[in-house]
Amino acid sequence: MESWETGPTAYAGPASPARPGGTELDALATAAGPAPLWLDVLDATIRTCTEHGRPDLAGRLWQRRTQLLDPSLRVLVVGAARQGKSQLINALINAPVCVTGDDRGTAVPTVVRHAAQPTARLIRRPAADAGWPADAGPDDRFVLAPDRLGDALAESLAGQPARSIERMHADVGLPRSLLAAGLQLIDTPPLPGLAAGETAGETAALARVRDLVTAGQADVLLFACEAGRELTGAEIAVLADLALLLPGLAVAFTKTDYAPDWRSDVEANRMRLVQAGVRATVLPTSAALRMHAARTGDGTLNGESGFPRLIAHLQSLLAAKPDRLSRAAVGLLGRTVTEELAVPLRSSLARQQAEGGSSDAATRLHEAQRRMDQLRRCTTRWQSRLADEVGDLMSDIEHDLRERTRAVIARADETLTEADPLRVWDDFEPWLREALLETGRTSLDWLSERAAWLARAVAAEFPPELGDVLPSWVPAVPGDLPQRVTELDSPPVDRFTLTQKVFTGLRGSYGGVLMVGLVTSLTGMSLINPLSLSGGALFGGKSIREEGRSLLKRRQATARAAVQRHVDEIFIGMAKDAKDSVRRVQRALRDHYTAVTEDLQDAIVESLRTAKAAADQDAAARENRARRVEQELLRLAGLQRQSLALLQAPA
Amino acid sequence: MTDVERRAEDLLDRAALAFRGHSRAENWLRRHRERLGEPLRVAVTGGPQSGKSTLVNALIGEDVAPVRANGGSVWYHDGAQPLARVFPEGAPPFTVPLERDAPHGHAVAAPADGIRSVVVEWPCRALRHTRLLETAAAVPGEADAVLHLVRHLGDDELAPLREGAAHPVHTLVLLSRADETAGGRTDALLTAKRIARRRRTEPRIGALCQDVLAISARIAHAGRTLREEEYATVAAIAGLHRTEAEAHLLSADRFTGAAFAPSIPAGRRAALLDRLGLGGVRLAVTLARTTARSRAALGEQLVRQSGLTELQASISDLLTARRGVLKARVALVALEHLLRAENHPAAGHLAAEAELLMAGAHELRELRLLAALRTGRVALPADLALEARRLIGGDGGAHCERLGLDPQTPPEKLWPAAESAAVRWHEQTTVAATAGGRRAAEVVLRSCTAILDALG
Repeated sequence: MESWETGPTAYAGPASPARPGGTELDALATAAGPAPLWLDVLDATIRTCTEHGRPDLAGRLWQRRTQLLDPSLRVLVVGAARQGKSQLINALINAPVCVTGDDRGTAVPTVVRHAAQPTARLIRRPAADAGWPADAGPDDRFVLAPDRLGDALAESLAGQPARSIERMHADVGLPRSLLAAGLQLIDTPPLPGLAAGETAGETAALARVRDLVTAGQADVLLFACEAGRELTGAEIAVLADLALLLPGLAVAFTKTDYAPDWRSDVEANRMRLVQAGVRATVLPTSAALRMHAARTGDGTLNGESGFPRLIAHLQSLLAAKPDRLSRAAVGLLGRTVTEELAVPLRSSLARQQAEGGSSDAATRLHEAQRRMDQLRRCTTRWQSRLADEVGDLMSDIEHDLRERTRAVIARADETLTEADPLRVWDDFEPWLREALLETGRTSLDWLSERAAWLARAVAAEFPPELGDVLPSWVPAVPGDLPQRVTELDSPPVDRFTLTQKVFTGLRGSYGGVLMVGLVTSLTGMSLINPLSLSGGALFGGKSIREEGRSLLKRRQATARAAVQRHVDEIFIGMAKDAKDSVRRVQRALRDHYTAVTEDLQDAIVESLRTAKAAADQDAAARENRARRVEQELLRLAGLQRQSLALLQAPA
Repeated sequence: MTDVERRAEDLLDRAALAFRGHSRAENWLRRHRERLGEPLRVAVTGGPQSGKSTLVNALIGEDVAPVRANGGSVWYHDGAQPLARVFPEGAPPFTVPLERDAPHGHAVAAPADGIRSVVVEWPCRALRHTRLLETAAAVPGEADAVLHLVRHLGDDELAPLREGAAHPVHTLVLLSRADETAGGRTDALLTAKRIARRRRTEPRIGALCQDVLAISARIAHAGRTLREEEYATVAAIAGLHRTEAEAHLLSADRFTGAAFAPSIPAGRRAALLDRLGLGGVRLAVTLARTTARSRAALGEQLVRQSGLTELQASISDLLTARRGVLKARVALVALEHLLRAENHPAAGHLAAEAELLMAGAHELRELRLLAALRTGRVALPADLALEARRLIGGDGGAHCERLGLDPQTPPEKLWPAAESAAVRWHEQTTVAATAGGRRAAEVVLRSCTAILDALG
């Protein structure tokens, strides 16, 4: 196929006619029929993007839609520095439109399209990532002379600041039949990060290609790599991603004229691409041979240059654009877009599953359960505490009472040992009553203090966050002491009557009269004499004194025994009263704290119930949401299946 | 011995004194102290397929490289007979004898753990004063000077150099495989040299290296080792009719194809293409057709065109002649490294001194100015530029050489010459047209006063 047109860039002849039977007719024929399937899938994808709140994606897809419906094919030529990208385009259209040679390199992307007359201009876009318009207002347009394009471009760019160069591209129109069919070629500056020996540069290179594809509205990619070397690891990585970005990826191995063993090198590279799973058309080309062939009109040489294959490849892509190419493009797009949309859904699903046990309602439920447990423990604690304290109090109060009454008894004993109960009784009895009353009062006071303390001690067993659980009343200790402390009648005593005294005196004096009378009778005195009579009186007096002392002793013992018995009785009574009081206090406190516990339990059970209900509701809502997300994911999967079907279906 | 060298040696000795008893630091210091007396170590660096091995061969003038050693670095030393000393990881070193005539290099069987380094000993005059290191590392720390090979001068390719120090005085950038420039046309080498000359004046590139040179190591090596048989093939092709020859030289396919004149067998053509590359064949045929009438003449012209002569001149002017300064620089960098890593009471003091020496070394400034004058980064009127170059030691470091006088001139006659030069350059520090020129004049003036100091 001889498809070059000789001539300089400043071609002034008539515009080349569109090739008869060319691709435009096919495109029209296809477009006239019912809307193709890929358009349906694309529209569905765009709708899905809008539904998912991704207007940015939808906008991008909308742009691609417009672009896919456009019959022209934009070919983006990319690659590392000095791989012959510009040379490839120049040789393809046989005109020096792209800057080559020396080390100038391509500074701005250059779009080469068909035009009736050679035109060239440099266009400044409003933003670096805006689309590339074919023309712009007079302020942002720099007209270049088409016959000395390289120099004109360099001069125009020299005056521009680096920041505005980022926003510039060149637009060149040329009368070429190859272009007239709708082919547009885009030359690009070298990709960063692909230099030999550099590692991990593929991210930068990929980002650049994506920008170029979006802004340059490219339909297919042509990756340039010089023959005679291996594709670097970074290049393979970039190609693997590019194959998923756009359909119809082709790798042009340039400069085959210079590499002696290019066939084996290209074959090795093809194997590496296959191993990396990259589907790409491999096209060995030689721009030098093509240019030489164009100069001399040598058809064989043109064949050797590999360009006829490249042109055939591009034209088949152009012909396939209304159907197969677009289908593949939409398939790839659908796949990437659905994957992109699924990412936030999947992560939200994962998040929901992760937070299943940590929602607010669940926290409250846990809190209520915790408080329930706490209350249960606290109940056991306060009950045992109450029992312990009451036991202590009982023994303490009894001991206290006993000590105090024993002291009273000791005092009474002392008094009754020294004094004659007969004489002191009237004073002694009121003292004893008063002392016993005092003892009872002191004990009762002490008991009521202890009871108040007991109430506080039990209250302290409740967790502090429950607030004040003390009873509002003071545990009462009944004080009916006066009835307990009864009067003590004077004990029955043996009195020493006069008769008894006389009788005792006579009995004692008898012995004395007899003893002294016998002695004095020896001296001749009679048995009854003054001496014996006075002896009898002495003895009689002594007997009366002795008898009186022993009677007093007996009286005292009787009185002491009576007092002791009396005090013991009163002690038993008071002790019983005290114990009863303690029991009453215990009962009152138990009732009070049981009521408090029950109230608390009711409150906790209530909150437990509400928390549980809330948690259930929450779980239901979450499940609902998860089900919705899953449905959404299923829908996306369906869309993706459709996209994949587009990729796999035969023409 | 220059001032900076002496002071660096002195500093290393004092550091060794301070670190006595610290075996690791002592070893380190002793190694660097010994290196000061060794030949210059020049590293050849660059990406894969940038032509490192070919350049090593071209510099040695024989087929030595590549010595394939599992990706390890390879040193080339002078030696009594060709052999490779292999230093494997975690195993005792061993030696392998090498063939003298191996057109595709040598391979060293790598042990399981990998190879730390390989030292190739090769009897060769070129290696007597310079040791070569072929390595893929971007910034080799063991080398005194670096020849960095790039395919083109894009930012990507120069990026490895940016990691090193600013204004390195020890780096030359080589635009390698120059025969492939502009599609391998006959004027490819001239174009590449023009690019190198234009680009080396750029401050961005000047900040990365001393000089930029274009070289085709393949053509240089082929030129140095051209065989009669190869010359005969070239001459036979040159003898063909011009149009016929050009048709066959269009592509590698056509050159080795069957359509060629049967008088030149395909095997010889393929061998020639392998040696010279298509661009080299085109150049050789053109030369053979015009001026080169013998093997020697063709070889010589190929070497001249290849850029090897200029590279050798640059290596000799900028690197070998400044061996002492470059070695002192590496020693000081190593010392700074050691002092930073080791916690020692004397370290702070020594580090400050090393830094002062690095920053203030007049010899390093002379070296930078020399490169700036060579590459045209500093513009002076032609006669002044020549004198400046001479005074800062571009023609030799001795006083008479610097002053442009006969080596036998008695010292008392040197004084007036040095004094008048000092007066002239003192004037230049104020009247020179550009700021760069004035700064250059200050450096030259300092060189003059250094001569006066030494004489007085």
